Parts: sequence; structure tokens; C-alpha cells
Amino acid sequence: MAKNKSSIYFGILGAVTLAFGIADLIVTIGGDSFTWGILEIPADPFRGGWGGLIVLFAGLFYLAGSKNLPEIHQLSKVVMGSVLIWIVAGTDIFAMITESIPGGGEGGWFNTLEGFFGTYAPPYAPAIFLLPFSLVVIYCVYRRK
Amino acid sequence: MKLNVDERWDLIDKISKEVVSYGKYEHTLKDALGELSVKPLAGIPIAIAVLYGFWSIFSSFAGTLWTDGFMVKIFDEHFLPWMQTHFPGEGGWFYYIVVGDPAADNCFEAFGVLTSGLFVAIGVVLGAILIFYLMLTLLEDVGYMPRLAVLIDTVLHKIGLHGYAIVPTILSLGCNVPAVTATRILETRKQRFIMMTLLAIFIPCGAQLGIMEEVIPETMGVVVLYLIVGYFIFGFVLNKLIPGKSPEILIDVPPYQMPTRRNVRRKMWMRTSGFLKVAVPFVLLGCVIVNVLYITGVMDWLANAFGPLLTQWFGVPKETVGPLIAAFLRKDLAVAQLSAIEMTSYQMITSVVLVSIYFPCVATFVMILKEGWKELLGSLVVLAVVVFLYGGLVHLIGILAGVA
Repeated sequence: MAKNKSSIYFGILGAVTLAFGIADLIVTIGGDSFTWGILEIPADPFRGGWGGLIVLFAGLFYLAGSKNLPEIHQLSKVVMGSVLIWIVAGTDIFAMITESIPGGGEGGWFNTLEGFFGTYAPPYAPAIFLLPFSLVVIYCVYRRK
Repeated sequence: MKLNVDERWDLIDKISKEVVSYGKYEHTLKDALGELSVKPLAGIPIAIAVLYGFWSIFSSFAGTLWTDGFMVKIFDEHFLPWMQTHFPGEGGWFYYIVVGDPAADNCFEAFGVLTSGLFVAIGVVLGAILIFYLMLTLLEDVGYMPRLAVLIDTVLHKIGLHGYAIVPTILSLGCNVPAVTATRILETRKQRFIMMTLLAIFIPCGAQLGIMEEVIPETMGVVVLYLIVGYFIFGFVLNKLIPGKSPEILIDVPPYQMPTRRNVRRKMWMRTSGFLKVAVPFVLLGCVIVNVLYITGVMDWLANAFGPLLTQWFGVPKETVGPLIAAFLRKDLAVAQLSAIEMTSYQMITSVVLVSIYFPCVATFVMILKEGWKELLGSLVVLAVVVFLYGGLVHLIGILAGVA
């Protein structure tokens, strides 16, 4: 039963991730970034294009690994899907951190407290939304041990 | 006691039965992940993701945080005005060499030894090198680099190299000097020559990448694309022209592992200190030489002499001759100098490509010479041909695309 649940979970996550990856690429080709509530799909070739391609690959890894998940080679595909999401989301978060510390052209040496926290405010890129869901794989690996 | 062959084998069987235990080996998750990263279908997306992460962290740290976040402010708003006001002898040649242009409002334009020289070395290059070597060390110690070597082996065989050539190639993205030494891991003279020539011509060092990220962030991708295409085109040609063998390799791929802090610290220190010892003196010396050439009028003479070639064949302004001379000392310095010359976006792309391919910096030059004068001479001949042909081709592409 648990096997089925995790397979279904990563199947759905894979489909959503794949959809986000395709959306990233479409928006990048379109040339204008897309914002919907707290979701923002960037249109720049690096984050939107290459980042979107990696999110798409992550979706494919999830879908390829979701069947018969307890098998080690299948699990490794799901883990790799999560690693790809961590790379894209992690670098997005790192970019926010590096932006939030300095004071900017007109400000002082360091950012104000308001400005610092303001950098972390939404909207966020798709990979950041996928990040918490991708962490479930840690539980799967832990449980397998 | 003397044993015949059968008795020896019996003895071997007996000993092995006592000391070797047999069992079923069960694949671990690490093994499965390791296998996944060397299979092309899965390995290429993983390699793209790793390089994406590498570049993203490099540009966020070196560009956004280090240079734009703090160093530009320190140098342009405080250090440069202070030097311009307090350094004695404004208008004199010594002032011009040390501080540079007294009317400049940023360190890229001033071009003095203690203004632009220090800004390039500390304000831009140091941050870029620190983060580059940290990332590279982590990739090496985690165990990803041998997997990348396996993955790219087939592609590199097309240009006469093999998977291990990825080590000098990636090292070269930090600094060409250790990369030239690393070409010794290649087996034949042919392979070493191809690798040395390609890295001296087509691979920009970390310092140059850091400056490019600062000066031409929008068009940097095009410059890098031109360099990658050139790397493979001329690698393919060299492989066809140069006699010699390109043997296969057997790579021992270690399991993925956690890097140890001590190892990372030691590698970082060794590489960064080695780089700074080579880079900083050459950056400062480069500023002195370029300024002296300007003061004595040699630079104007050179600009006029090479003007027709630069403007007609390469399609760049004749003032580019200054950066091209500086590029012999430091390519990062040359790119910084290019930013002060007025030109179109495509001329800037062509100029940066030219600066990259036109000559190895003097430190790389010395390292190639250490490997053998024949190698150096051969590399220089190839280089002259490549600059002329590829520089002209980049201009031609611009004309055909209607941007040059």
C-alpha cells in the first residue's frame, strides 16, 4: 500500500514538475515573464530557459522512477529528480541571499532590515514551489534504510 | 619444496577458500546514482544541471555580492576619489601611471596601477576565483568529475582527446597555468599539444569570466558560444592534421562521497594563493606597460599601423590595439580596458572573442614553454592562423546577420 502511495505521489509530482518545466520554456520563448499571484515564471534565457529545461528533466526523472519505487534503480531516478529541483531552487535562493545583503547603489554598505526581508517576498519561481514537495524523497530514502 | 603447476593451483584454491568470503553484492543508492550519472540519457541532463548550478552560484557570488554589492562601492565611491584628490602630481606622467585618468568616475576607466589594477585584481578577480575554486573542489571531492570524464569521453575523442581532457579544460576555466600542467595526464604528445593549444586559445580563465560577467553580462553567452564552437572546430581540424595516437582510457570511477573540510580548505588555499601570486603582479605590470605605451605615443602608432586590419578584417575599432597588447599580460585587464572604448554591441562581442583567442597570457606562455619549445612554437603558429581565420569569421557572421 505504501509502495503504491509513494508511486502515485511521485507520479503526480513528476507530471506537475514536467508541466512547470514546459511552462518555463514556453514563457522564455515568448519573451515576457509571467506572473500569477505568488508564482512568477522568468523569461530570461538562463533562469527561464536553462532552468526550465532542468525542471523539465526533473519531471521526466520523477515519471521514469515512480513505477516500482522501492527498487533501488527506480528510487535513484526519483532522487536524481529531486537533486535537479534542489539545484535550480537552491541557486534561486542563493541569488536572493546575495541580493539581500548589500545596500545597493544609493543605500549604505548593508541592506536595511526591511529591504533584506523584502528580497525574500513572493513571487517565486516554479522550482521554489516544487522544493518542499521534492524533500519527501529524503523520507523515502530514510525509510528504505 | 618444489610444486608443479597443478599443485600450485590447488594451493591457490585452498588459500582463497580460507581467506575469501563470497556473498551477493547488493547495489546501494550511491551505486545506482553513480551509474545514472554516466549513462548518456540521464547523465547529460545531470551534467547540464551541475553546470547550471556552477554558473549560477559563480555569477551570484562573484557578480552580485562581491563586485556589485561591495567592491564597486569601495573602489568607485571611496578609493578612486580619494586617490584622485590626494595623490600628488596631477597631470604628470607618474600620476597618470599610478592613478590614471583624473576625470574618470569609475575604476574601469581610470586605468591606473593602484586604481584599475587593484580593482581588477581584488574587486573582481579575487571573488570570482574564490567561488570558482570552491565549486570545482566540491565537484572533484564529491566524485562527480570522473563521471563527467566518462560522459564526455565520446565527444572528446572526435577532437583527438579523451574523457580525462575535461580536467585541464575545467581547470583552465579557473586559470590556464595549472591547466597546462594538468595536460600531463594525457598520454601522447599529440593529445597534450591539442589540449594545450585549445586551452590557451579558446578557454577564458575565471578572472576573464568574472570581468566579462561585469562588463558584458547581456552578450556574454554569445562570446562563450563562439569560444565553445571554436574549441570543437579547431580541435577537430588539429586532430586531422597532427600525426600521432589518441589512445582509449580506463577510468577508475570512485563512489560518491562527502567532501572533507580539511581537503577542501587545503585545495582552496593552494589554488587561490597560487593564482594570486601569478595574477596580481601581472595585472599591475599590465597597467604600467599599457600606460607607458600610451604616454610615449607607441599605442597610437600601433593603433594606426594595425588600424586597417582591425577595422576592415575584424570589424573592431582601431583603439582595440591597446587591450590586445594588455591581453598578453592579463586577459581580464584587457576586457576591463575594452569597456572604456566606444563601440557597438557586436563589435564588443568580436573584441572580447579576439582578446580571448589572440594570445595566451604571459603566465600561460611561460608554462607552455616549460612543456617544450616545439610545443610553444606549434601553438603559436596555430594561434596566428586561428586568430586570423576565426576573428574574420566572427566578423563575417556579424555582417551576414546584419549586426556588424
